[in-house]
Amino acid sequence: MKTSEPTDMTLDAEALEELRPEQQLGKTCLVLAAVCLAAWFSNMVNGAPLLDALPGMLLLYVMVVVGLLIGRVMPFYLPSVAWVSLVSILATLPVMPGSEWVVAQLAEINFLAMVTPVLAYAGLTLTGREFAMFRQTGWKLILVAILVFFGTFVGSAFVANLLL
Amino acid sequence: MDLKSLLNWRLHLVVIVLSLLAEWIGILRIPLGPGTLLLLPLLYAFVLGVVLNPHLFAASENVIPKRVSAAAGPVILIAILPFIAKFGSTIGPAVDQIIAAGPALILQELGNLGTMLIALPFAVLVLKMGREAVGATYSIAREPNIAIISDRYGLRSAEGIGIMGVYVVGTMFGTLFFALMASYIASLDIFDIRALAMACGVGSGSMVAACSAALAEAVPASRDELLAFAGASNLLTYATGLYVSLFIALPVTEWLYKRLAPLRQEARHENV
Repeated sequence: MKTSEPTDMTLDAEALEELRPEQQLGKTCLVLAAVCLAAWFSNMVNGAPLLDALPGMLLLYVMVVVGLLIGRVMPFYLPSVAWVSLVSILATLPVMPGSEWVVAQLAEINFLAMVTPVLAYAGLTLTGREFAMFRQTGWKLILVAILVFFGTFVGSAFVANLLL
Repeated sequence: MDLKSLLNWRLHLVVIVLSLLAEWIGILRIPLGPGTLLLLPLLYAFVLGVVLNPHLFAASENVIPKRVSAAAGPVILIAILPFIAKFGSTIGPAVDQIIAAGPALILQELGNLGTMLIALPFAVLVLKMGREAVGATYSIAREPNIAIISDRYGLRSAEGIGIMGVYVVGTMFGTLFFALMASYIASLDIFDIRALAMACGVGSGSMVAACSAALAEAVPASRDELLAFAGASNLLTYATGLYVSLFIALPVTEWLYKRLAPLRQEARHENV
């Protein structure tokens, strides 16, 4: 399967550094606006009407941009997801001035509705190579998933059992 | 980054339509035996997206050209970030509860590293899987874990395929499996039932619900206590899970994979 699109494979590895969202802030901010628009609409059904959710959605946009900016200027590498979640945890800590307002605005945003568009993007942008790969390993992944769930449950139970 | 494809209006319009449709269908609960099959909007969005993917059905080329679909992969890296921001905002307000939860709860988080202990050797040595196994087994494959893999390797890499596979399996059958497993292991009487309750907190709302409900069903007398332990543990996993998977689970999985991969080669030679 690797031989079908070898250039794509090497491109992926080389381009990954360049693709990191914090490396191209200008482009990222534009694309981020487009995906936030999709998330905003997605939130309409089980979250809140568009206008009610607008401040919350803008807050999320700002938190992401601030997180990316921090990631950009930090001398060491941490994935942008870590910086973004850190920004959002700090902004909603009870000791933070204005955190009550932030939490109230974000309450208009449905947790699951934020993921729905992400998975739609994922489904739409899979390539032929990935379909081939999944076809080849799909049944194996079902077995692996069962062992993964079993492992985490028994692992946590074992440690907790020792400490109780 | 190919900005023209990333900002293609058709792509984003189709995503909005699919998301609205998926959200409108909503959460479906299908009772099955002792558990419940829980179907979430994100699953329909993924399936609908795959159906409209031009690489799978040529007819979809009219909706989104192959060129756009292939070049728009990086959009996922960015699309997951608003969700991560929302995710963090559930942790900040609960910081007092998390501190009150105590060291026992914190240390059992390390048990979540159990994902790869059995699954990775099995995937590499028995199933002869490649780097998909790293993505598939380093975590329980929920959204924050996907975000890490997406950031590190890209979702279209082998590791990305691995985690998306486990994600889809978990989304479809995770709640059912957790309900079955929790009640069965509780009936074996090996572990303290409170330890099992803590183990239910794996960082997925639907899985912890199914798991703790099954335990409460098994030992009705301590129902409230069990639900509290499971809830606190799950909150802690939300708070720490991202960092534990990033700084401990992923490096450990990579380390283990490097050691297992040569053994897989030997096993192949023996078979020949």
